[in-house]
Amino acid sequence: MNRKKLEKLGLHLPLFPVTSVGSFPKTDEVTRARGEFRRGKISAEQLEQTERDATAFWIAKQEELGIDVLVDGEQYRGDMVAYFAEKLPGFTEGGLVRSYGNRYYHKPIVTGEVRWTAPLTVEWWRYAQSLTKKPVKGMLTGPYTIMDWSFNEHYADRKATCMALAGVIRKEVEALIAAGCKIIQVDEPALSVRPEELPVAIEAMHRVTDSLDAYFITHACYGAFELIYPGMLDLPVDNFDLEMSNSGLDLLELFRRHSFTKDISFGVVDVHSHVLEDPATVRQRIEQALTILPKDQIWVDPDCGLKTRTVDEAIAKLKRCVEAAKAFRN
Amino acid sequence: MTLILAHTGSYPRIGDSAELQALRRAIAGVDRGELGAAQLADAENLMTRRAIEEQAAAGLDLITDGQIRWNDPVSYLAGKLAGVRVNGLLRLFDTNFYFRQPVIESRPVRRAALTVSDFQFARETLASVNGHPAARRVKPVLTGPYTLARLSLAETGEMKALETRAAAYAEALAAEIGALADAGAEIVQVDEPSILLHAEDWAIFTASLAPLAIARDAARKRGHKLDLILHVYFHDCVPLYENLAGLPVDGLGLDFSYNPKLGDAVASLGSPVPLALGLVDGRNTKLESPAEVARETTRLLPRIAGQRAWLGPSCGLEYLPRDRARAKLELLGKIRSAVEGR
Repeated sequence: MNRKKLEKLGLHLPLFPVTSVGSFPKTDEVTRARGEFRRGKISAEQLEQTERDATAFWIAKQEELGIDVLVDGEQYRGDMVAYFAEKLPGFTEGGLVRSYGNRYYHKPIVTGEVRWTAPLTVEWWRYAQSLTKKPVKGMLTGPYTIMDWSFNEHYADRKATCMALAGVIRKEVEALIAAGCKIIQVDEPALSVRPEELPVAIEAMHRVTDSLDAYFITHACYGAFELIYPGMLDLPVDNFDLEMSNSGLDLLELFRRHSFTKDISFGVVDVHSHVLEDPATVRQRIEQALTILPKDQIWVDPDCGLKTRTVDEAIAKLKRCVEAAKAFRN
Repeated sequence: MTLILAHTGSYPRIGDSAELQALRRAIAGVDRGELGAAQLADAENLMTRRAIEEQAAAGLDLITDGQIRWNDPVSYLAGKLAGVRVNGLLRLFDTNFYFRQPVIESRPVRRAALTVSDFQFARETLASVNGHPAARRVKPVLTGPYTLARLSLAETGEMKALETRAAAYAEALAAEIGALADAGAEIVQVDEPSILLHAEDWAIFTASLAPLAIARDAARKRGHKLDLILHVYFHDCVPLYENLAGLPVDGLGLDFSYNPKLGDAVASLGSPVPLALGLVDGRNTKLESPAEVARETTRLLPRIAGQRAWLGPSCGLEYLPRDRARAKLELLGKIRSAVEGR
C-alpha cells in the first residue's frame, strides 16, 4: 500500500481498509422528493434538505458498519456523467438511452466549449466530511469516461474532447484539495472500451492529477481489462478500484502474469445481484486475492456503486465487506 | 443505380414522454410482481408498432422490428437455446451498454423458433400501417454465430473451444434462418461485429458462416426468395474489407464511422456484392450533412456490384435518444433525394 503517501497526508488506515465505490441507493424519502420536485410540488431547497438528511443517514450507517474510508453516497446525483454535464457550460442534456436491462439515463451532448466556472462537488464533500471524523472520498468522474459517455457535436475528435474535460476535472480536484479532501476517486469505467485509446486516458489523467497532493483512486468496471493490462498501470493514480466478483476474479490471472503494482480496492460482492453473498464466499475471495497480492496493497469494497440495490441489500452487502476485512485483520 | 433506405437493427425502446415509457413501466411492473407476461407482451407490441411506424413515416424501404423485445443483442438469442444460461453483465464492445453474458453448460440446441413470431408480428403490423408501399419489407436481424460464441463463456470441456461454440450456434441459427424463410422473410441480416476485433479468428468465423449460407440455399431450393446480409460495425472495417467483400453473402453492411479511409477502400477496391452503406453515424447525435453523405454515396455507388446499395445507420439506433434516432432515419430520405438530384 502506498502507506507513505497516506501517512504523509495524515491518514492512518488499518490493513484491508473498507470503502465503497461511490453511490448508495436513494432512500425512500429522496426517491419521493425527487418525484415531487419533478412534478413541481416541492422546491429545490426542500429537495436538497431531503438529500442532506439522506447523506447524513448514509454517513452514520457507514460509521455504524465500521467502514474506514467513507463516501457521501451521491444522494444528490442521478447518473455519474450526467451530474457533471448538467453543471458544466458546454453540455446540453440529451434524451434517454438505455444502459442495460430496463435502466436508462440522459446521455449528455457536448454542444460547445466545456468550462469549469465553479466547484461541482465541494460543498457536498464538505458537508459529508463535517459529519464524520473518518476520511470521506472526493468523488469525480474521469475525463475519458465523460467523453466516452457523451455525444460530441462540438470538438474535432474524441481526444480533443477528453483533454478539454481533463482540464475541467483538474480544476475540481484542486478545489476539493483546497477544501481539505485527501482521498480523491476519479472514476474511469470506460477505460478499456477502446484499448487503442489507453494513451489518451493516461494523458488525460496526468492532466488531472500531476503534482497534486492527494491519494488518487480510479474505479473501473465491466471492461475488457485483458486488453489494457498491464498498460493501464501507467495511469497516474495510487489505487485501482476494480470490479472483481462479477467476473469470477478472472483478473487475478492477469495479475499472476504481470505484477499488479498499485494498491487495489478489491470488489468482493456483486452489486448487480439481489443475492447476498455468504460470509465464507467473501472471505474466500479475499483469500484468493492474497495468493497474488501483498496484504498491505488490498482495500475491500463492493464491485461497483450500490445504487441499483435496495437500501437493505446495500447495507447487507457492505456489512459482508466489513466482516470479511475484519476477519483478515485478526 | 439503386439506393434502398434500410434500417440496420435496433431502435430505442422508450422515449421521453410518458406514453413512450410504456415498456419501461411494464418491465418494472413485472420485476415488482405486479404485472404478468401478457401485459409485458402488450407493451412490447405497442413499442414495436411505434418503431415500425416511425421507420415507415421516415420513408424507409427495409425496416426492422426495432429489436424492442431484445434485452440485449446476445442474451436474447443465446438465452433461448437449451444448454445456455444467462449470467452477469459485460460491456457491449465500446458502447456504454451492457449485455448479459451467456454461459454454455452443454452444447446449445435450438428447441423452438427464436425470432419467427417477432418477424410475423412486425410484418402484420407493417401491413396495417396506412399507405405503405407494397415493396416495403421487414428484415429480421440475428446476431451471428461467431459473435455469440465470442461473447459467451463455456464451462464444459467441449464448448471451451471457440470453434465448437461457434459451430453449435451456427447450427441453431441456420435452422432459424430456414424457419424465417418459411415464414416469408426475404432478407435476413446477420450481425458479426466481433470479427472486426479478432481477425485472427477468420477461419473460425467463415466456418461458422457456412451453415447459414447452406440454410439460405436450401430455402431457395424450397422456392423461397432469401438473401443474407452480413453486417459488421463497432470497429474499423478497413483491415478486413477485402476479405469481407468476398464472403458468400448477398450483401455486406459496413460501419463508416470508425475510419474515414473506408470510403477510399471501397472506392478503390470496389465490391463484388451490394453494400449496406452505414454512412449515418448510429452512435452520435450530430446530424450529418445530407449533401456530404450524398456526395460519398454517389462516389461509391458505381464501384458496387449492380450499382445497388442500401443506405442506413452505421449500427442499430438504440444508442441514441429517440428524437435523434428518428432524425437520423429522416436524414436518410434527404440523402437519397440529394443523390437523386431532387
